[in-house]
Amino acid sequence: MRMSELIARVMANRRSVAWLGVIAIAIVCVVVLITRIEIDSDVINMLPKGFQSVEGLKIFDRDFEQTRELTFALRCQPQDVDRLEEFAPQFAENLRKQPWCERVLAGSPMETPEGIRDLQTIAVPLLLNLDPAAFDQTISILQPQRIRERLHRLRQEIEAGSPRPQFELGLDPLGVIGPALKPFAEANAIEQEQPLTSPDRTMRIFLVVTNQPSLSAFECQRLMRQVNAFRSQARVGWDGGHLDVLATGRSAYVSEISLSMRHDVVATLGSSVLLVGLVFFIGFRRWIPLFGMGFALLLSCLVALAAGLLIFGRLSMVAVGFCAILVGLGVDFAILIFGRYQQARIDGEEYQQAIATSVAKLGRAVFFGALTTAVGFLALVLSGSMGFSQLGVLIAIGIFFAGVFMCTILFLFVKPGQVPQQHDWVFEVVKKYVRWSVERPTPVLIFSGTLFVVLSVVGFSPVPPLRFEASVRSLEPRNSRASQALQAIMQEMPTRWEPVLAIVRARDAQELHDNWQKISAHWSELQRAGKLKGFSTPGALCLSPDWMEKNRESLDKVDFQAARQTLEQTLDAEGFSRDSFSSAFRLIDDLQAVARPGAPLPDWRKQLPNGAGWWFLVDRYFAKDPFLTAGFATTNEPVNSHAQSDELGRELPVVGVPIILSGWSYALADLQPWSRHQLLIISALMAIFDVSLLAILYRDFRLWLIQVMTLAFGIGAMIATMKLLNLNLNLLNVLSFRLVLAIGVDYGIYVVLVWQKTRELEHDVAGVIKPVILAGLTAVSGFGSLAWAHNPSLNGLGIACAIGIFWSLLATIFFTLPAMAAAKPKIWNETPPSHPI
Amino acid sequence: MRSPLLLLLMLTASLVQAQSLSQSDVKNLLARIRERRASVPDVHANFQEQKTIHLLNKPIVSSGKIWFHAPNEFRREISGNSPSITVSNGRDLWIYYPNFKSAEHYTLGKRSPVDAVIAAINTALNLENVENTFQISGTKVSNGYELQLLPRSPSMKRMFQRFDLRLNTELTAERTDMVQSNGDQIITTYSNQTRAPIPESTFEFTPPAGTETTNPLGR
Repeated sequence: MRMSELIARVMANRRSVAWLGVIAIAIVCVVVLITRIEIDSDVINMLPKGFQSVEGLKIFDRDFEQTRELTFALRCQPQDVDRLEEFAPQFAENLRKQPWCERVLAGSPMETPEGIRDLQTIAVPLLLNLDPAAFDQTISILQPQRIRERLHRLRQEIEAGSPRPQFELGLDPLGVIGPALKPFAEANAIEQEQPLTSPDRTMRIFLVVTNQPSLSAFECQRLMRQVNAFRSQARVGWDGGHLDVLATGRSAYVSEISLSMRHDVVATLGSSVLLVGLVFFIGFRRWIPLFGMGFALLLSCLVALAAGLLIFGRLSMVAVGFCAILVGLGVDFAILIFGRYQQARIDGEEYQQAIATSVAKLGRAVFFGALTTAVGFLALVLSGSMGFSQLGVLIAIGIFFAGVFMCTILFLFVKPGQVPQQHDWVFEVVKKYVRWSVERPTPVLIFSGTLFVVLSVVGFSPVPPLRFEASVRSLEPRNSRASQALQAIMQEMPTRWEPVLAIVRARDAQELHDNWQKISAHWSELQRAGKLKGFSTPGALCLSPDWMEKNRESLDKVDFQAARQTLEQTLDAEGFSRDSFSSAFRLIDDLQAVARPGAPLPDWRKQLPNGAGWWFLVDRYFAKDPFLTAGFATTNEPVNSHAQSDELGRELPVVGVPIILSGWSYALADLQPWSRHQLLIISALMAIFDVSLLAILYRDFRLWLIQVMTLAFGIGAMIATMKLLNLNLNLLNVLSFRLVLAIGVDYGIYVVLVWQKTRELEHDVAGVIKPVILAGLTAVSGFGSLAWAHNPSLNGLGIACAIGIFWSLLATIFFTLPAMAAAKPKIWNETPPSHPI
Repeated sequence: MRSPLLLLLMLTASLVQAQSLSQSDVKNLLARIRERRASVPDVHANFQEQKTIHLLNKPIVSSGKIWFHAPNEFRREISGNSPSITVSNGRDLWIYYPNFKSAEHYTLGKRSPVDAVIAAINTALNLENVENTFQISGTKVSNGYELQLLPRSPSMKRMFQRFDLRLNTELTAERTDMVQSNGDQIITTYSNQTRAPIPESTFEFTPPAGTETTNPLGR
């Protein structure tokens, strides 16, 4: 028994068995869905694997404390800048009281007495960590004569009116803290370019480290609910004009993205089902088969989702967009199968026989249609992007099941006694056009050919250019409050561009120290040569056990008693207040304690108070693993091109030091060749697959050539439209070209295969053009529905595909058909009755 | 019995002499000062300064000359054992120490601590915009006016706790008493004030050859 007959028999005579099978499948899928569902909302996972720059982003994102950092900004009107300055400490204090807040940085720690005191607490380990030569020079300041000379001079400078001695004595009364902090201050230089107040004083920035246990979507949503509640109360005590309270950061993004996913699924799937259903109803004016089609498509989505969860473990946020696409594509099979079934019924066949006929006649077309589409989407696996790989696999699985369900389950919703549609105005219109273009193909061909040639010239010519957007913003969600807050902050604080991130991991403290010493020395040379604008590294904070031990031995030579006595005598002689120099005496005690044999080497991590503002700086350099660190190199210009990232990739590393260069700008510049590769090579591979398949299918050079030209026209018109509508390419929507090739070729296959074999043009060709139009419109609707998505990757991909498929459809109807009629003329011989599909 | 009576008489006399100014009086006074400054923007004077800072047990006394051109250019030369020359053109501040052949360079207007120096001189010699930055009360005394300035704006609060200013009948500053936010106090008295035009070159400074120049605040 043939497969078509078996299907027809089951659908006609074993409907209850078929229903039980459907219910069983649905239950299994729902169970998998409930027990396994886990969504990955990290935008970094959208980027391809195998790039060190991307891996670096992931490491920085995952292992460094700054991921728990939120940035708050207060923005006032220009006339309220003084009020804002007064309000800022109150706002910071309120932030500190929040249960989700661990630390707040409201100003440079250097500007507060606490910040200076905290810095003094870590002076001893940093002093011991100096290069031994620098240490010996620094510690010589403790010689009695040097103490006397220094304090005498400072006294004279105070008399002369200099403010400097007061700053110096406030921070470093003994004169050894300054040299100890010098490497740290150099590393801190980059932070001075990032003030926490805007130049016009209308914006104040507050950095907050939260205590959220994880960065999961639900944790971030919970945190942001609390943050937003705080924001709504944050203006209490403010008596000025309008005040914006902005918040941004990793948690804000994750929360918004995860919430927008729900919107994206509902909006895109809902609009897709609505639009596709509308097109189907216009085509067939049947409610129950329409419902059946929707049911079969949703079941396909469910099966694909369950299979995806079993295969991948957790699904990317982009993968959830597959439902809308699947609905738009899977409906093609319903239109073709149901259309052929109706035609068979009109031709007088019984219910079971009509099912068998439709499956037998169109099973091949559905198979090849599903094959090309599935291959097109499976090719997304080659992108290396986990999100798009999952999208491709899910759609490939879904499209396969959609084909199966449309040939089977759909008929459970078609009543055996249903009367076929007698008058179909859509079919009549289509038939008139087909007759006209078959009998007089030249005018249509000239018009459509000219239009497509012009569009293709515009599309494939270098002018106007199709812009490629490689900025981070092209990947950010639309209408995101976190994104808007970040943009507002960047507008007010345009101090510099994002530095290149250098991640260094070591096995122990000494190796880490040595690595950063080498890197700092190398980068200093680059800076002197004008190849770098600046840099900051954790070098000063990476303690060297070797140097510290050696320097501790040098402390043996210091006569601390003499130093203390000289200090006391000199203070009295110069008229200094002893109380103001208490930290100097404390420092002498600390150094003396460290110098004792067997005393443990001091560690700044244990000495720096937990609430110190300096931790914000430390957290930028050190991951939770203290041997995993990051440094920052500021380039002379923003990194936009691959040539820049390539040069930095050659210049920044040091031989023998494993280093990962990263940062968003650097990574996106690094990915540009990958993106072009995706655009050119993978799309070309897809085109080669298509044209080879067509050659095998048609075995006719002229028909093959017409189809290849149709594909080229479709892509050319797509690029031209994107140029004219100012739609930029980005790292992710370049993937749309292969999909348009994969889907667009199906329409040609349906039409050309029928043209090759038919002798009844009015019956078969007009009969296939109508479903092709409906299928094309549903595909455009499916992809176009993604325009409602907030996720820019889905949104951009959907719009680009909708444009491409629209032009492929038009090219098939207005170029392929008349071109075939001109190249392989057939006689239009209408004999009543003609029946629509 | 004679002492309380004498005290009462003295108190009455001082009350008669020191007459509180209303807010409109203060406004009028400041307007008159502005008019005079607008017509004659230059001031040259001798000064004596007594500085009490928390680092030192005893106050430091210094003296010298000052040249000022409204709104924000000045030159201050301290004489004595620890001489120095401080020059500002409104953007940069130089302090030169002839004894050490060294100079310090500061860039102004970046919330640097030396902004307090400029603010103090501007407030004393110019009184430009003081209504916005200070809450001002005053009394008329026999030989001029005494103004008490309490900082109103956060930027001034960061620098000063209070600022008292005595003006003579010519409406020029005679004495200032400034208490900084850290408790340090500076009392300055001005004498021999003249309003002759001052050459622009007075407010420019180029370190002499061989001078060691530093940027203490790194800007």
